[in-house]
Amino acid sequence: MKTEDQINPSPTAALEEAQAVLRARDFWAALVLMGLSAFFLWRTSFIPLWGENRAGVQGGDWYNSAALVPLGIFSAMFVLSLVLLRIAVREGGAKRALSAVGIGWNRAEALRFTTLGVILFFYIAGLVPRVDFILCSGLLITALIYGYHGGHAVRMLLGAVIVGLAGLYAMVLHLPRAQWAQHDDDWLVLVLWIGLTLWQMWSGRGTRLARVIPVIAVLAPTILVCAMAFGFRQNVPNRGGLIFKQIEYHYYVTLKPIWSGK
Amino acid sequence: MDFILSQLAGFGSAFTALVVDPLTYVYLVTSVFLGITFGALPGLTATLAVTILTGFFGNKIPLDYSMIALLGAYVGAIYGGSYPSILLNIPGTAASAATAMDGHPLAKAGRGGEALGLTTTASFIGTLIGTVALLIFVWVLLLISKNIASPEKALLALFGILLSGTLMSEDLVIKGWIAGLIGLAMAMVGMDPLLSEPRYTFGWSYMLSGFQVVPVLMGAFAVPQIIEGLRHLEVGKLVALQGRILPNLAAVKRHMPTITRSGVIGTGVGALPGVGEDVAGWVSYGVGKTVSKDGKSFGKGSLEGLLSSETANNACIGGALIPLLVLGIPGSPPAAALMGAFKINNVIPGPTIDPAIILRVVAIMVLASFTMWILGLFTARIFIKILRIPQTVFLPVVMVLTAIGSFSVGGGINDLYLMLGVGFVAYFMNLMKYPIAPLVIGVILGGLFDETFRRALFLSDGSLGVFVSRPGAAVLLALNVALIAAQIPMIRHPFQRRRRKEA
Repeated sequence: MKTEDQINPSPTAALEEAQAVLRARDFWAALVLMGLSAFFLWRTSFIPLWGENRAGVQGGDWYNSAALVPLGIFSAMFVLSLVLLRIAVREGGAKRALSAVGIGWNRAEALRFTTLGVILFFYIAGLVPRVDFILCSGLLITALIYGYHGGHAVRMLLGAVIVGLAGLYAMVLHLPRAQWAQHDDDWLVLVLWIGLTLWQMWSGRGTRLARVIPVIAVLAPTILVCAMAFGFRQNVPNRGGLIFKQIEYHYYVTLKPIWSGK
Repeated sequence: MDFILSQLAGFGSAFTALVVDPLTYVYLVTSVFLGITFGALPGLTATLAVTILTGFFGNKIPLDYSMIALLGAYVGAIYGGSYPSILLNIPGTAASAATAMDGHPLAKAGRGGEALGLTTTASFIGTLIGTVALLIFVWVLLLISKNIASPEKALLALFGILLSGTLMSEDLVIKGWIAGLIGLAMAMVGMDPLLSEPRYTFGWSYMLSGFQVVPVLMGAFAVPQIIEGLRHLEVGKLVALQGRILPNLAAVKRHMPTITRSGVIGTGVGALPGVGEDVAGWVSYGVGKTVSKDGKSFGKGSLEGLLSSETANNACIGGALIPLLVLGIPGSPPAAALMGAFKINNVIPGPTIDPAIILRVVAIMVLASFTMWILGLFTARIFIKILRIPQTVFLPVVMVLTAIGSFSVGGGINDLYLMLGVGFVAYFMNLMKYPIAPLVIGVILGGLFDETFRRALFLSDGSLGVFVSRPGAAVLLALNVALIAAQIPMIRHPFQRRRRKEA
């Protein structure tokens, strides 16, 4: 049975608990940092330090070596991670490090971060290179606002599954750069986006947000990509995408001749 | 005297050139408005505003307009953070955290209009104080910096990273140093600057040119903010704005000593490498509480408390630009983003910078602070409406902005992968209370440190004596050693005991 203090911890107790959780995380962070420093120290050994002879050419002296500064950086990081480990152990971090409660595991927060991680990963790695920017960004905006506005776990999952599905399809079927111009993944994203938009409008009917989401999802990426491509004349992702290709064609073939008087 | 007159003449011609150009106003009003909006929205920061606009304006328009856009956004965002601090009791930016202490009680007492009006005017005056300091000290330091050679540059870069790590750490100081080292390590990727030896490229040709600054900035500042902000939060209760916003001149005059003192403190803190507006706000607030006759009412709705933090955080901007322009070391995280913009425009801040650029920066700062003042006084009600927009609605749009901004800087899709990777790492670092500013400053200064450290050794045939034989280098080395030694318990404790005994 929980005591009164466990149910309503005092501010000092809450701070102490947060500090203890931080030290348990510091314990793991120190181990990761030590591992990484050791790995990169090993990789640094591939860079000539003592003026080695490479293909018959004498390298520079030790003080001019490209390995000198990295060696210092990773050695310092190794030492500091040892100090961090010592602090974490001394303040009880090691004792708590193996329990979920000890490291402050929060299921709701883990779900929120994991779903967000999935959405952002598949958006950047899967969709942006292969799918029309307006379509994939529209889907992203819809999934993020619908999924995270009210803090509903099921909506987060739905958003992550839809963006993940679209991204996975694009990555699996069109992984090499040569296939990025294909349009089947654009159509799939369009269908999923329309489906999610209709679903959120139906489930949130009557609310202002449900009406606003499609407007933001269409306008924001369209304005941004047009401003970047035609205003700043910069490269934009996937110029041959389903919608942007049409916009670009009509900009140069239909609209531009009108105001340039040709 | 001739020197001052020539500086004033140079500033006058730069100012006139900007004033007569109609496009100046387009960029100025748009960027200051966007900056205030970014600052006013809790969850978006001044650093993010400058970073995202760097992606958009960094290298796509002439440098002059790019500087107007970025400095305008910087000035606007630092000021904009005061809106939610006063009306919602939620700081819009870290720089406005101290503002909430007195701003919100004032708004609850029905003096919100007065608080906003005075804050706007104090921010304007604070920015001008920082800008005047920039105009004066940048030249003095530029003259001194002509004598700075590789050993001093290397030690100065190290000092910037160490100081930023020390002062920006919320938890343990070594976390700030580790963050700085991670940044330095990231700067080592690619061809080394002296021998063109590839380092840590793992056979990937994209890595040969090293990590690009803009995607790293976007990843470090935007992605964690988006991940952290996309959660369900009840928007705090907005206190209705009462009273007129236009400030009473007599009140401004009465508070001039506080405004001047805070402006000077803010500028001084800003001039420290890597220390940002939030530290300036808190330091000035602390000093104000100690020296003010009104000190006891700080935290309970004191106008002096409000003005102490708000003047200082805006004055910090001018201060932060001093080390950036003179030494190429950013004085604050948004200044680090500005440095990214300079870099992608092939402008290398430091002793060799074109003096005309400094004069233009000063002229832009004056115009930006004036625009901020006008917009703050006459369009405040628009920004108050913006406060009602939930984070979960605007952050997805910020993600799209970040993606397209990062993509278009030059590296294409690989820059997006880099941005996302850095973003996830930065999120976990935030979670474990590692400051991000030293990491970014490490990435920016890493190349400089590597090159100048090795060049110093090369010129002295490997003798480490080069770092103590030159007076400037010896002083900087002593500062670096002192900064590290001050954190070692064996050294720190005897000093603390002695101080306690003396007390």
